[in-house]
Amino acid sequence: MIARFRAMKPQELAAAAFRLRELGIVLALVGVVIFFGARATNFLTGSNWQDIAQNVSIVVVVAVGETMVILTRNIDLSVGSIVGLCGYLVAATLVHHPSIPVEVVALISIAIGLGLGVVNGLLVAVARIPAIIATLATLAIFRGIDAEITGGKNITAYQLPDRFLRLAASKPAGFPALAWIAVGVAVLGAAMLRWAPWARDFYAIGSNPDAARFAGIRAGRRVITAFALSGALAGLGGFLFASRFPTLDSFAANGFELTVITAVVIGGVNVFGGSGTILGVVLGAVLVATISDGFTLLRLSEFWKIFFNGLAIVVAVTIDALVTRRLQEALRRRRAGLLVAPGAGADA
Amino acid sequence: MSGARRIAGRVLVRWETLLVVAIVGVGIWSVTLSPFFLKRANLLDLVTPYVFIGLMAFGLTFVVITGEIDISVASILAASIVCFAQIFAAGVNVWPAAIACLGIATALGLANGLLVGVLNLPSLAVTLGTMAAYSGLAFVVLSGEGVATFPSSFTKFGGGYLAGNELPVALLVMLGFAIALGVLLHRTRFGRYLFAIGSNREAARLSGIPVTRVRVTVFALSGLMAGIAGLVYVGYFGSARADAAQGSLLDIVTAVVLGGVGIFGGTGSMPGVLLALILVAEVRNGMQLANLSGQLQNIVIGALLLAAIIAGNLIGSAQEGGFQPGKLRRRRKGVTSDKRAEAKVLVDSNP
Repeated sequence: MIARFRAMKPQELAAAAFRLRELGIVLALVGVVIFFGARATNFLTGSNWQDIAQNVSIVVVVAVGETMVILTRNIDLSVGSIVGLCGYLVAATLVHHPSIPVEVVALISIAIGLGLGVVNGLLVAVARIPAIIATLATLAIFRGIDAEITGGKNITAYQLPDRFLRLAASKPAGFPALAWIAVGVAVLGAAMLRWAPWARDFYAIGSNPDAARFAGIRAGRRVITAFALSGALAGLGGFLFASRFPTLDSFAANGFELTVITAVVIGGVNVFGGSGTILGVVLGAVLVATISDGFTLLRLSEFWKIFFNGLAIVVAVTIDALVTRRLQEALRRRRAGLLVAPGAGADA
Repeated sequence: MSGARRIAGRVLVRWETLLVVAIVGVGIWSVTLSPFFLKRANLLDLVTPYVFIGLMAFGLTFVVITGEIDISVASILAASIVCFAQIFAAGVNVWPAAIACLGIATALGLANGLLVGVLNLPSLAVTLGTMAAYSGLAFVVLSGEGVATFPSSFTKFGGGYLAGNELPVALLVMLGFAIALGVLLHRTRFGRYLFAIGSNREAARLSGIPVTRVRVTVFALSGLMAGIAGLVYVGYFGSARADAAQGSLLDIVTAVVLGGVGIFGGTGSMPGVLLALILVAEVRNGMQLANLSGQLQNIVIGALLLAAIIAGNLIGSAQEGGFQPGKLRRRRKGVTSDKRAEAKVLVDSNP
C-alpha cells in the first residue's frame, strides 16, 4: 500500500487523498445508517428516506453556493437569513397573488437572493471587510429585514395555493422533486468548478490570493461572483424551504447556516480555501441530514443536533488539517527528491 | 503637508476622538427623544444592561489583537452559567459554585486555545464549531427551565446599586476589568507579545516569543472573561438559562471592531473598546427611547459594524497617503507573512 503511494505522482497522491476523504464519509454514513437502523424502528422505511432526501436537498442547494465562497477563502454566514427572508417573501407573494406561476416565484426568490449575495460580495471585495465580519453583520441585517416584513405574523400552509404545496410532495420518476432540483444544482455546480475558467479561479484565489492576482485573475470580481452565487442559491433554497415547511415566521431557517457550513466542512472543503469538491459536499450534506433525522426519530432534543453539528465541524477541521500537513510534507519531500515538474497544485 | 497640520490631522482622525464625538452626538439625539436622558441616574445606568457584553468584548479584544477570532464567547457564557446553576441547585454554596463556573468557562476557552494554538487550526472554523457545540451543551445541561434562586449577596454584583441606589455595581465591575485588562494589554510584556504576534506571527516566533503558549492563553483568557460576564449576567437578570446571551455576538464583535481593534490583528486599544461599548449601549438605549423593535435595532447595529470597518479602512488609507479605492482587490487574510502588517508594526503598533 505504502509502496504504491510512493510510486505516485503528486497529483495522483492528492487525488488519492481526496478519494480517501470521500470514502471516509461514505463509511461514516454506512455506520450511521446501521446504528440508527438498529435503534430507531422507523428509520429504514421508504417514507423516512423521502424525508431525508427532501431535507438533504435544501442543504445541498445552499451548500453548493457556500462551497464557492469558502473555496475563495471567505465564508458566508448570512445564508440562513437569506433562506428565511426569501422563504417568507415566496410565501407572502403566493398568499397575495395566488395566480402567479410557481416558476416565476422561484425566479423572484433567486433574484432577491442574488441581490443580497451581491451586497455581501461588495462588502467583502470592494469595502474590504473580512467575510466573517461582513456576513455576521448582514446575517443580523437580513434577519432584521425579515422580522420587519413579517411584523411578528406568520404564514400557514392552508393560506398557500395547492399547486405550490404539491411541489414538495410530488415525485417525478419516483424521486422527490426537491431531490431532482438538488441533483441538478450539484451537477451544474460540479461541472462549473471542473471546467468553467471563472469557477477554476475560485481555487486559485483560495490557494494563494496574491499569486492569483499576479497571474492576472480579477480576484475581486470572482469573489463577488462567489457571494452572488451563494446568495442566489440561498434564494432558491428559500423557495424550496417554503414549499417543504410552509409555515413561516421571522425565525424560519434561523441557524440554518450552521447546518450548511457543517455539510461543507465535513465534505472536505478546506476552510482556508483552495480545495474541495461538490461530491464531497453532497456526501457531507447527506451525512448531516441522516444524523439529524436519526436524532429526531430517537426523540433526542434539537440541541443534541446543534451540539453534534458543532463537534463535527471541529473534528472535520482537525482531521483535514492533520492530513493536509502530512500530504504537504510528503509532496515537499517528493519535489525535493525527484525534481517533479512545478505546478502540481494542491487543488484536486 | 506641514508638520503641525499633520499632527493636528492625526489627533482629529484618532479613532478614540471620533468615538467620543459619536458618543456626544448620540447623546444629543437621545436628549431630543427624552428629557430624562440627562438625569444622573439614567446616565449611570446606561451601560448596566450591557456590562456582560463589555466583559466578553474585553476578552475578545485580546484574541483579535493576536490576529484570531473567537465567536464562541456567548456560548461559553451560556454553558458556564447553566453548569453554575446546576451546581448551585445541587446545594453547593453560591461562591464555590461561582468559582467552578469560572473554571468551566476557562476550560472551554482553553479547549479553543489548544485547537487553535497547538494544532494550528483556523480559529474561525474552530470557534464556529465550538459555538454550536457549547450552546448545544448548555441546553443539554439545563433544558428549558431556568434557575433563579440565587442569594442577593451574589446577584448584587450584576444588578446591585451603591451610593443611594444610583451607582450600579456592575459598572464598577466593568471599569475595574477595563483598567486591569488595559494595564495587562498596554503595560506588560504579555500585552506586547499579543501585538507582536498579531502583526507578524512568524517574526514573533523567530524573535523568541512563546507564540503557542501566548495564543493558548489568550483563548483561555477570553473564556474566563465570558465566565465572569456570565456571573454578572446572572446577577443582572437574576436567572441562569441555556439561551442566555444568545444573539449578543453581534454587539460583542461590534464593540471590539468599533473600538478600533484591527480585524487582521496587531492593533487596538482597551480605552477604544470601552468607548465603543458605551456608544453601542447609548445607541441601543436611544433606539429604545425611539421605540424601535429589537430586530430593527439589530439592523442598525449591523450597519454600525460595517460602517466602523469602512471608516477604519478609509482613515487607514488616508494616513498612508491618499485614498485608494478597493479596486476589487482582495486583501490577504493570512497572518503569517502579511507584508502590510509587517510594515505597520513599525509605524503604529500601539495607538
